[in-house]
Amino acid sequence: MAVCIAVLTKDNSPLYIASDPAEDGLKMHFLVHTSIDVIEEKLNSATAANDPRDLYLGQLYPNEDYRIYGYVTNTKIKIVVIESITNPLKDGDARQVFSKVHSGYISLVCNPFYSPGDTITSQPFLNTVTSLMRGKAIA
Amino acid sequence: MSRGRGAVDPKRVSSELFSLTYGCMVAQLLKDFENPEEVNKQLETMGYNIGVRLIDDFLAHTPSVTRCTTLEEVADILCKQGFKMFLGIVPEIKNWTAAKDEFSLVITENPLAEYVELPPNCQDTLWYSNIICGVIRGALEMVQMDVKCSFVGDTLRGNDSTEIRIKFVKILEDSLPAGED
Repeated sequence: MAVCIAVLTKDNSPLYIASDPAEDGLKMHFLVHTSIDVIEEKLNSATAANDPRDLYLGQLYPNEDYRIYGYVTNTKIKIVVIESITNPLKDGDARQVFSKVHSGYISLVCNPFYSPGDTITSQPFLNTVTSLMRGKAIA
Repeated sequence: MSRGRGAVDPKRVSSELFSLTYGCMVAQLLKDFENPEEVNKQLETMGYNIGVRLIDDFLAHTPSVTRCTTLEEVADILCKQGFKMFLGIVPEIKNWTAAKDEFSLVITENPLAEYVELPPNCQDTLWYSNIICGVIRGALEMVQMDVKCSFVGDTLRGNDSTEIRIKFVKILEDSLPAGED
């Protein structure tokens, strides 16, 4: 079950972080922060073996309680999904989650009143993310 | 202006490009004027200028359209041919008054407002698609009809539907187009 979804800009400032209220928010923030290093490393080395278009980075690093998945778009927007090991996501599911977040982000960016770089307060995007996090709990 | 891809008609642009362009224009107007009411007026004026030119294009491309004798015919042609030709939508005509001089246009899917969310400071005052009101007013004025056109509801604002109220005022007799006074 996804416990945290985070969206970061190309200079790694957080646009949006949401975590399951049952989990420690601060710890989630910390995990997202540490995963940035791993993403950067993968990006710098992955240029040789260029993954198909939207670089789905897969599982970033092992952790005893959580699995952390990363995804980066062509515009260097990073999406990080953290989920607990009690109910691990299959690879295909993880890709789906990322592509849904990515589409939500695209709709958000098309809003003429949203400037890229602002923190995300748009209701439809928040709804997409909360339903994804909750949806995992049901699946 | 030629495009490399033969499949795309060079006179058409994608609707997304159009929505994004219109959105940037409204956002820029808001930044410049800062007052949503003022932006509404500007959009209406811009729409008016578009309308007075658009009507000739419309009539040239629809030779089957004849002189209308009633407001109902006008409404019908406006929706089924005018809107269809330029925006690709067909609004519904509703809420006629008893005197048949006023009606509502209800737009179900507004191509201008795709992906748009109004910022909180103009949530209650800005009519995002006000340009449409101007276009209708301008176009009908060039065919000697004076109408008042305004929005009464917009899904962007949280209303149930996007609705424009059009009220017939009078037939214009031998008057110069407004811009040439």
